[in-house]
Amino acid sequence: MKTILAVDDSATMREMVAFVLESAGYRVIEAEDGAQGLDRASHTPVDLVITDQNMPNMDGLTLVRSLRELRDYKSTPILLLTTESSDSMKQQGRAAGATGWLVKPFDPATLLEVVGKVLR
Amino acid sequence: MSVQEAGAESAHDAERATDLLVTVAATLNDRLAVTARELARSQDVLREASGELLTAFRGAADRIVAAQKSAPAPDPGGAELEVVLSHLYRAVQHIQSHDLVNQLIDAQKLRVGKMREKLEQALALAQPPVATNAAPQFWIERSRAMLDCIVAGIAQIDEEARAPRSDRQHAGSVDLF
Repeated sequence: MKTILAVDDSATMREMVAFVLESAGYRVIEAEDGAQGLDRASHTPVDLVITDQNMPNMDGLTLVRSLRELRDYKSTPILLLTTESSDSMKQQGRAAGATGWLVKPFDPATLLEVVGKVLR
Repeated sequence: MSVQEAGAESAHDAERATDLLVTVAATLNDRLAVTARELARSQDVLREASGELLTAFRGAADRIVAAQKSAPAPDPGGAELEVVLSHLYRAVQHIQSHDLVNQLIDAQKLRVGKMREKLEQALALAQPPVATNAAPQFWIERSRAMLDCIVAGIAQIDEEARAPRSDRQHAGSVDLF
């Protein structure tokens, strides 16, 4: 079973992501900001990270850069799931090492399709 | 007009300017207090509705997860379960919108709160009593300090407030790099 780390400061958003992924057979662990996400990922190996951008303590882009510095996460897919939709932010995401960018509110079927694609 | 009379008139003008700034700051602050109350009320209504919606969602989600686990192995989803799941997926999208609106209200409350903080600072500057024979310079400095606070309060409108910026055009879009 693939393990996915969902990072978002909104508990409701984490719950929605977790429900959709778990209903499709994935195991989900959660973190409420980038710092906690980095800590979780350092202690528990995950196959995919889905993170929000605007969060207290550590934002999503910083989390992506920090994960990419870890040997175990050089090639792990990382998706940004955020309300930010500007091209400049997406370019920053790409430069930081993100695998993809999804804009909230997400469509569950699309999320599952993207997750399936990046985990293949 | 003697120098003494001119000085008295300047002091009077500066005092009137300060009174005007007090009126501006107090009026703005009162209006913002109303806005803050309305935002809080809207958020309460939304929170209550979201809470009920989430409770209903969790009830259905737990049942379907349990049903999926207990379904026979070759057909773990089952046609009926798939239909229920698709309804829950639609609910997921709308619950997210509730959450985004809640975050938006939070951001506006924060912004209004910061504006009111600055306006209250301006009003506090007008509080200490002034001697009747105070120099015009005193009134001018007080007016400037108050005006700075009022301008800083208005400037909060443009400040970053961590508000969600999603728009319908891009909602749900995907870019894979």
